[in-house]
Amino acid sequence: MSTDAGNASVATGVNADLADVDRVLAGDGNAFAGIVRRWQGPLLNMAWRYCRDRGRAEEMTQEALVRAWRGLRQWRREGSFSTWLFALAANVFRSELKRFPAVNVPIEDAAEPSLAPAQESGLASRRVAEEVRRAVLALPVRYRESVVLFYFHEMDVSAAARTMGMPEGTVKARLARARALLKKRFPQLEDQQAALDMAEKEA
Amino acid sequence: MMEPVKMDKLDRILASEEELLPSSGLAASVMDRVRGEMDAPEPIPFPWKRVLPGMLIAAAGLIWCVVEMVRMAVAALLNFNLEHLQLPGSAMRSLASAGWVLASLGVSLVSWLLARRLIGRGGLV
Repeated sequence: MSTDAGNASVATGVNADLADVDRVLAGDGNAFAGIVRRWQGPLLNMAWRYCRDRGRAEEMTQEALVRAWRGLRQWRREGSFSTWLFALAANVFRSELKRFPAVNVPIEDAAEPSLAPAQESGLASRRVAEEVRRAVLALPVRYRESVVLFYFHEMDVSAAARTMGMPEGTVKARLARARALLKKRFPQLEDQQAALDMAEKEA
Repeated sequence: MMEPVKMDKLDRILASEEELLPSSGLAASVMDRVRGEMDAPEPIPFPWKRVLPGMLIAAAGLIWCVVEMVRMAVAALLNFNLEHLQLPGSAMRSLASAGWVLASLGVSLVSWLLARRLIGRGGLV
């Protein structure tokens, strides 16, 4: 039931995008407001994952939406509107961050949680999580974007690959390398995982 | 039915981001910029009709210059005789030294490129 409702809402969104694009291309610029309203949230969250700076994420989202407005005629309609928009936004975010990088520290210098796993409280756990997320920004550029887009697209490799305009195999290889670098930087994650696995087995 | 993806701790951390809500002014700022671009006057088209004849004449002149230079170079090359070329001993020694300097620069460049590539593969840059 809920899946039907979800599919219906996605279909409505797709139709609304198509209708708004047609209206904009016919000369009704105000129809772009519908596209902005539907896509500002996803693009803001994507931009946030690229820079983890709220103000900058809003600026980058604004820039991506304005570029989408300028380039609306270039959408070929072979792929979905969302694929085109995410790929365009990824290009904008990439070039913005090339001009002014978000983080300049190498991954070896990224902050390391000071609390031992045994002492982990809710607060410490949240801190570890935030430091791991920030460490993603310290990854080498080619691995960073694969991680950002893979998790933004809810762990869908093909969606991440489409957004990056790369073969899935390349994205998978980069993800594996990025995960290895992160696990090397945060070995306590492996220990915690081993403890969780053991607890699951015992249960 | 799809099998649930096995997530480890790293996956759980990176997949569980809190969702940000756009600020109230974001959509308005985007639409302000869009309307600003809509209201901007059309750019003045480039006057190709006026420029084209001048460009064609300039291109023809350039081509004529290149043809003349090539023709003169070929004529000079045909009249060139190696027997007339005599370099003093010191000049020959300088040339040999320059060759060694170039070779060492080449080796340095290759080793630098190789080191960069190896570091890049290691994910250090």
